[in-house]
Formats: sequence, structure tokens, C-alpha cells
Amino acid sequence: MSSLVQRRLTPRDVGELIDAAPVDVALMSEEHRASLASRFRAVPIPDHRRLDAWMVEQAGRPPGPFAWSPVTVRRILGNNAARRVMRTPDTILNAVRDELADQLLRAVKGYARPGSLGHWLAGVSHPVLGLITAEAINWATQTLQCAEGLDHEWRIASSDVYYDVAGARTTLRGRRDVVVDTDSGRVIIRIRSGQPGKSAGPGLRSDLVVETLAHREGLAPRRYLGLWPDAGLVLGVDGSMENVRAGARDFVRAAVAQRRHGVDRAA
Amino acid sequence: MTEPAPELLIEVLRGDRARRPRRDDARAAGLRASLEDHVFEIFGPPRRETPVVVSSATLRGSGHGFELFDSTLSRARGHVISTAFRLLVAHVHVEDPYDDALGAWRGERPDDELLSVIAHLDDDQVARLRADVTSHFATLTKGLGPIPSSWWPRTSQRARQLLGGGNVQLRDVVDLVVGSTHHEVASVALVDITTSPLGAGAERVMRFHALMQTLRTSVVPLRTSIFSSATGELWTLDVDAELLMRAVGDVVETLTRVGASS
Repeated sequence: MSSLVQRRLTPRDVGELIDAAPVDVALMSEEHRASLASRFRAVPIPDHRRLDAWMVEQAGRPPGPFAWSPVTVRRILGNNAARRVMRTPDTILNAVRDELADQLLRAVKGYARPGSLGHWLAGVSHPVLGLITAEAINWATQTLQCAEGLDHEWRIASSDVYYDVAGARTTLRGRRDVVVDTDSGRVIIRIRSGQPGKSAGPGLRSDLVVETLAHREGLAPRRYLGLWPDAGLVLGVDGSMENVRAGARDFVRAAVAQRRHGVDRAA
Repeated sequence: MTEPAPELLIEVLRGDRARRPRRDDARAAGLRASLEDHVFEIFGPPRRETPVVVSSATLRGSGHGFELFDSTLSRARGHVISTAFRLLVAHVHVEDPYDDALGAWRGERPDDELLSVIAHLDDDQVARLRADVTSHFATLTKGLGPIPSSWWPRTSQRARQLLGGGNVQLRDVVDLVVGSTHHEVASVALVDITTSPLGAGAERVMRFHALMQTLRTSVVPLRTSIFSSATGELWTLDVDAELLMRAVGDVVETLTRVGASS
């Protein structure tokens, strides 16, 4: 059984979860990677496949069509704004505005492809931009509040992590918001809305396995923490080989379910 | 209740900095335990098929039956004002509160049922709603004052707490939260914006927000306020142990009624 730890979301509890995270963590070898690739190759699909923790939590059910909205952009803009604030101290409002301006500039210069965030932002009305600003401020503030009380060095993650499974036309995505650097390794924090459901553990393990695969040497983080500020809860999984394996198995299961859903739809 | 109406909301939220109490991060566990005990007493160990949901709307209406704000149009007005308020806090210039807030709402949730209700209003109803929103917005801007960005304002902050193994779900949305939980002294203030006149239910709502914020962050907030865009009234309470215990009492009273009827 892979273990899942749960605590209240307070700086003290999160700090203890970081301090008490195991030092001996999983190491993904080339053999492990090859084995995972062969499992994905055994589940062929006609198109390129993208999998993430959300799909694992939804048992492989295909997500609805993606649409940009103030809610779907808040994490990207909010994290970028939080990173700006860390780099150059300013108000979060100004950082969000600067981030929006950068995105719009990209669109104006023709670098934003159709369907991208910049392209979408360039077409929304002034009031919707206002609501986007409000949502991004909320996200950035919440992220900084979660990280501010930590004793360790931390940084806002510059991007999510991706891992392309060789020869299996499969991309795995792991979401992460804050990276905590300790002397004995890193701890990754992901911030989520709402409250954790029954599939929160598998979701965290999925993010853990992508973070491990995407690491240059295949080294797992000491712990992967999911923060649910709305519920005031934090859940964590250790970077053990057991959890990494469980996460990989969940991804393969999601791929199988995804293919089954695809076949059902085609029929 | 501490403040009369004419004062700006931000002045009330700031208060006297020198008199702020030390941050209390020890009370949340006791409140949670007390709620859990009561939930167990009321519902016992069996797992309900659907959880009992308690929100600020539940408490606002407690004992008062069906009120004006329950009507669909009043809810729509409330949402428009709430959206316009979010724009104000984000320092966005609001040209026309009705059009701008509705436009933002459509961008946020284009499939919202309330929006389709608004889309099907006749011209007379739209004109009345527009006038109503404009009036509420004017009261709001007059009473609010500019919220400094350095206060870390966040709008429509959600909170959810499960009790009794999922038998009870407490849900809350606070229109505005300012301040940080990391300071040595209590510095978080909560603001509810309502389009209804303030009544007995408003106090319960203020207490509920304070309770939920305490359970959410494990830190007791400094004060909780409610502002009526209908009348310009502003009520503010400093949060202390007694207020939080009364909030627990409000929730338990609601749950007891539900328990007795199920």
C-alpha cells in the first residue's frame, strides 16, 4: 500500500511535512523508462495522447472541450505574477497587469498562435479582462500566502513538467506550483481549488511520477504535497518507488480507459 | 456592532492598528472538535446519502422563511453587483456597472442559468434591473473607498469544510478578504456585500464567515463586516472567542432543524 498523509493547511504542518519527508527516494532508471514505454505502446491510439493527473482522477474519461475563461487562466497568470513579485517586489495587482500586458504584446506582435492564451486575451472585452485580473490576483495571493510561512527556500515553479514517453506517442503532464529546495532534495507543492476527493491520492501520485520522469537523473522529489486552501487541508505522497510505480500504473490504466472511451464513442 | 454608516469601509477595516490582538492560531481545532461533536449528536454514525449543506445563504434566511432575495431576479442582481465589486477591487474602471458586470459574468460562466433568465427579460424588466444595479453600485462605490493593493485583497474567496465523515458540508464565499495570516497580530478582515437591507440574518452571516475563515486557515481573523448596497449600512464585528462560539451555535441550530425534519 502506498501511503497518503493528511494535515491541516498551516505553515507549521506544511513545514513538518517538508522536514519529515523521507530522504531515500525513488530513482527511475533507463530500464524503468523502457518498461513504462512498452506498457504505453501496448495501448495504441490513432492520435497523440496527453495524460495528466486530472485524467487519472477521472478514470480516463476524456475531458470536455477546453475553453479559456477567467478560471482556466488564473493559475498561469497568477503563478507568473507571483514569480514577478518574487523577482521584483511590487504589488500583486501590478504584477498581474504586467503579465497581461506581456501576453497581449505577444498577440500584437503575432507570436500568439490561434487558441493560445495570448490570442484569446487579445479578443476579450475590458470587463472580462477585469475579472481575469481579479481571478489571477486571487491565485497569486493564495500561492504566496501558502509559501510565505515556509522556513525553507522556495520558488514559484517556472512551468509544469512534461515527459514524452519514447515511441509511445504519449505526453505526460505534471502540475506543480511551488518548489521547495531542502538540503536533502526537493519537495513539490501543487495548489488546488475545492476540497480533495477520493481520487486525490492517485492524482498526487500521477504528478509525482511525471516530476520524477522529467528529472534529468530520474530522481523523485522527497514528497509531493497537494494543498487545498478552500478546505484548509494538505495531502502528501512520499517520493518512494512504491508511489512512483503506483502513479505509473494509474497512468497506464487511464490510457486503457481513454482508449476504451474512444472506441465506445467511435461505435 | 461598531461603526455607523457614513464611514468608508476601508477605514473601518483598517481600524486602530495599535489595538489589534495577537494572532490566534490555537482556537480552530477546538471549534472543529465542537462542531464534530454536535454533528455526531444530531446525525449519529450512519452515513447520509447526501450531505446536509450549510452556507451563508442558509444562515441568512434562518427562521425568516422565504425572503425577497430568494427570487431569481434578486439573485441575478446580487451576482451582477458581486461581479461589479470584484472589478472595483481589481481597480478596473467600470463604465456602466450593469453592462460591464454582465459582460464579465458572461465571460466567466456563459452557460449560467441566471444569465439565460436575464436574456429572456422583457425591456421593462431589463430597465428596472439596470436602474436597480446602477443604484446599488453607486451606494457601493460611495461606501467602499479604494482598497490598497498592498492589503492583498482577494475576492469571492471560497471555503469548504466536511464534518461528520461527510454528513455535513459547510460552504462559504466571502466577497472580500484582506490581510495576511502570517503577521504577529490578527490582520485578516472579511467583507460581505449584500444587496438586501441588513437584518438579524446579517449577524449570523458575519459570524459564519469568521468561523469558516478560522477553519480554513486555522487563524482567527481580526474582524468581519457586512455592507448593504441597498441602504449603505455597514456593520462590523471584531472576532473573538465568543463570536466564534456563537457561530458554532448558529450552525448547530440549523443542523438540529434539519436533523429533526429528516
